[in-house]
Amino acid sequence: MATISARTAAGIGAVAAAGLLLTACSGGGGVATPGETGAASEGTTTAEITFWDPYPQREAGSDWDNLVKACAPEGSTITRTSAPQTDLFNQLTTAVKEGNAPDVVLLDNPLTPDAAASGLLATAEQAGIDTTGIDENLLGPGIVDGVTYGVPMGSNALALYYNKDILDAAGVDPASIKDWDSLNAAIEKVVASGSKGITFSGIAGEEGSFQFEPWFWGAGADFSDLASPEAISAGQLLSDWVGKGWAPRSALNDNQSASWDLFLTGEYGFAENGSWFAAAAADNEDFTVGMVPIPGKDGGLAPVPTGGEFAVAPLQSKDASDHYANAAAVIDCLVGGDNAAKTSETLGYLSANPEIRAAQVSSNDLWTPWVDIITGAQGRTTELGADYPAVSGKLSEAEQAALNAAGDAAAVETAFKDAAGS
Amino acid sequence: MTNAAGALVAEATTTGEAVPPRPRRSRARWAAVAFVAPLLVYLVVFYAFPLVQNVAMSVQRYDRGTFVSGGAPFVGLDIYREVIGQPKFWRIVGQTATFTLVSITFQYVIGLALAVFFHRSFKLSATLRAMFLVPWLLPVIVSATTWQWMMNPDNGAMNTLVGWFGIEPVWWLNAQHSLMSVTIANIWLGIPFNLVILYSGLQNIPTTLYEAAAIDGAGPWRRFWSITMPLLRPVTLVTLLLGLVYTIKVVDIIWIMTTGTGTSQTLATWSYGMAFGKGTSGVIQYSEASAVGSILLVIALAFGLIYVAVQRHEEG
Amino acid sequence: MPRAWWKTPLALVLTGIMLFPVYWMVNVSFTRRESIRKSQPFPFDFTVDHYRVVLHEQLPFLGTSLAVGVGTVALTLVIAAPAAFGLAKLRMPGGRALSFVLIVAQMIPAVVMALGFYSIYNRLGLLDTIPGLILADSTIAVPFAVMLFTAFMRGIPDELIEAAKLDGASHWRTFRSVVIPISRNSAITVALFAFLWAWSDFLFASTLDREGGPLRPITMGIYNYIGAQNQEWGPMMATAVVASIPTALLLILAQKYVAAGVTAGAVKD
Repeated sequence: MATISARTAAGIGAVAAAGLLLTACSGGGGVATPGETGAASEGTTTAEITFWDPYPQREAGSDWDNLVKACAPEGSTITRTSAPQTDLFNQLTTAVKEGNAPDVVLLDNPLTPDAAASGLLATAEQAGIDTTGIDENLLGPGIVDGVTYGVPMGSNALALYYNKDILDAAGVDPASIKDWDSLNAAIEKVVASGSKGITFSGIAGEEGSFQFEPWFWGAGADFSDLASPEAISAGQLLSDWVGKGWAPRSALNDNQSASWDLFLTGEYGFAENGSWFAAAAADNEDFTVGMVPIPGKDGGLAPVPTGGEFAVAPLQSKDASDHYANAAAVIDCLVGGDNAAKTSETLGYLSANPEIRAAQVSSNDLWTPWVDIITGAQGRTTELGADYPAVSGKLSEAEQAALNAAGDAAAVETAFKDAAGS
Repeated sequence: MTNAAGALVAEATTTGEAVPPRPRRSRARWAAVAFVAPLLVYLVVFYAFPLVQNVAMSVQRYDRGTFVSGGAPFVGLDIYREVIGQPKFWRIVGQTATFTLVSITFQYVIGLALAVFFHRSFKLSATLRAMFLVPWLLPVIVSATTWQWMMNPDNGAMNTLVGWFGIEPVWWLNAQHSLMSVTIANIWLGIPFNLVILYSGLQNIPTTLYEAAAIDGAGPWRRFWSITMPLLRPVTLVTLLLGLVYTIKVVDIIWIMTTGTGTSQTLATWSYGMAFGKGTSGVIQYSEASAVGSILLVIALAFGLIYVAVQRHEEG
Repeated sequence: MPRAWWKTPLALVLTGIMLFPVYWMVNVSFTRRESIRKSQPFPFDFTVDHYRVVLHEQLPFLGTSLAVGVGTVALTLVIAAPAAFGLAKLRMPGGRALSFVLIVAQMIPAVVMALGFYSIYNRLGLLDTIPGLILADSTIAVPFAVMLFTAFMRGIPDELIEAAKLDGASHWRTFRSVVIPISRNSAITVALFAFLWAWSDFLFASTLDREGGPLRPITMGIYNYIGAQNQEWGPMMATAVVASIPTALLLILAQKYVAAGVTAGAVKD
């Protein structure tokens, strides 16, 4: 009957054995394990330089692409390729393992401690990366156990955009938004005037956690206790918005882009979103967009998570010094000295260096309201280092459950307690 | 599409050694080996290595660091114990079973109904049948996002649709309903595959049988149950097996619609999230992902065996 | 009286239901970004900008996808057809075990396969090349193709093969001149599946061909519109529409060809 014949078994066995043999062979060698030798100062730049970033939307020929390529040292050409954040990190992992890593990678800042702790990165010292003058809170994610691994490409941050036309019609003065109560009052007025309330991104994963953290920290919660009353109150705030119909239920699955698209329809009063949309907001033709910082629960500015990428040099196993020399040259060209302002401007970021930032603000008024937010921002990994991604996953689980609860206080509380206990 | 699946009809009757073995001539056997050799090489090079690697990863404790540097400690079946010991494990198994069984049942029934419908040609039938395959051409990221929008709880097309039948708007993608919603989208995605194979299976049933039955006074319903279904049985078996194998490992459509949250989490999406450190998984968990992957493999293996057994039984 | 006159309208309705999500995609591809999430049934806020962008940027990727698709079809047929002949007609020893392995092979998670390939390709210099991608994509189709071909070839009457042998034909000759022509229809089905799977692959492409520049398939080209925090759905939907047109035509053509070939190539046992 259903017995597998001896021949079948033998056949499977043979295939498996052949595979084992292959594994054994490949484990043996060929590729050297990445070492910790090499220094930029001992190498010379090579003809081909590879550069990875998480900006697939900035295609060949875009301003950013030109800026990067213009940073090739004399006699070199830069090949630039892109992939979304998490994919880029995983591709980097595989590439380092196989001794095939690029010269420069722009890595999302909360991933940097994990990358460093996993032995994927050369130190800033090895790779000749200069980090002097960078704000401490922004450089934070790049420092693991006292060692610096990279330099921020600039910083972005979150705030509350608003549709001025809707607020005017509803009689809401954005300046009145000082804490959660006044924010709720403002949203309530907007909804009472016939518009929709607020869009945000609650998608499962790091992106949702990123958007949740201003409320989480703004309530006074921290990562040491996900089930604290403060943490629960942050979950309750967002859950209530969904429950009362102030926020779209699709927030549960919307990423930040989707949530912005909802705001662009002109139906919503507010949108929690990032400084990367600041330029687009200023240019919006359909309605006037304004911006206020995210308030803390009892007033003041809520600390927002620092956003943006770190320029890092992956650990190399072959000709390490030359690769590091490449990294040093390209990174210095992008964020060192005079170019830093141009780089930040091209990426739509604020510079991580306060002096350059001041110059940037004085030449582009768009950034003025963002300065205080950036200064008060908090590194996601400052508290936990490489352990952050795991806790962020739990936080996201709690938020998802809280949004599903649509206001039900008991369910919100359970959501956070479950996440803390798991 | 063709009568290729008619071939699958033939399979059921001739697979294996049902036919008394002929005197084996060693020359023919060597020739056989020569014909199969490219496939064997191909299988060993491309499948054996990943397969073994998958199992090897699930018995060693990998994290990102040891993945790069090697030297992950061997832990035997510990990871399997941990994975199965998680409180959500059996819930996820149940959801996987629901997703898979409901998907393939509806895909098959709808695919078969359409195949029968298109079997006798009529005006435009060939073109319309080809149009049914269009969903398959679309990048899944696009079709899945389209479904996500259509299932928007506040203003999506699906709620307009159910509204016509007096049903209250549904929050399609919340934790509670997401399994149903991704299953609906997946059924849609799988209909073309079933239609193609079942249609070609029908092509291979001799029309004379139907004509004879019609003369005997059998109605369409009767003809379907006493001719179509029995003769289509082998094709049905293969379609269901392949459907099962493909459905049980579906990740993309679920992931894009819901990130595998709530009830829409299946073994495959769970494994995917851990393998890439995406969604609520947070950190990358190679070993756990491989363990879940291996469990999926064992499930498929079991169904493969059942298939072989049923086939033998059919052959009497 | 034309038999079953109601079938065409009913078929139109059914096709309409099935293709509704496709309609929605087309609808969005003609809508300005500001109105995409208004969920309107028609593109009231009409624009063709998305198509302008796509036609400007995506054509090289489309070409690559076609090349990869065709290459995958060829490789799949070359490996699967002879193997199936060996399994079905030459009674290859251990054939049943092999069939079983083929079922299992289809279950290996693509992620695992992709990681394995990366390591091999890196050594062989096949990363970021079209042949490398063809090789990888073919692994999706080969097991299925062998199963389908084997099943079909079992249905070929042994008398036909024996007759060829009596005429003095070698196994290879028999395969080429008797089996292949008869198997034309199953070859088309296999080709169709192989093409569609290669066409829709993203995972292999993103792992093995990430630095391929224009030598990347359309499934990756579409990622040009997915930024870290910003995705442009208009151009993405437009890309999907543009990319589906050549393949849809291909399908309809194949459909016609097959319809014509069914009677000619059919084999009854």
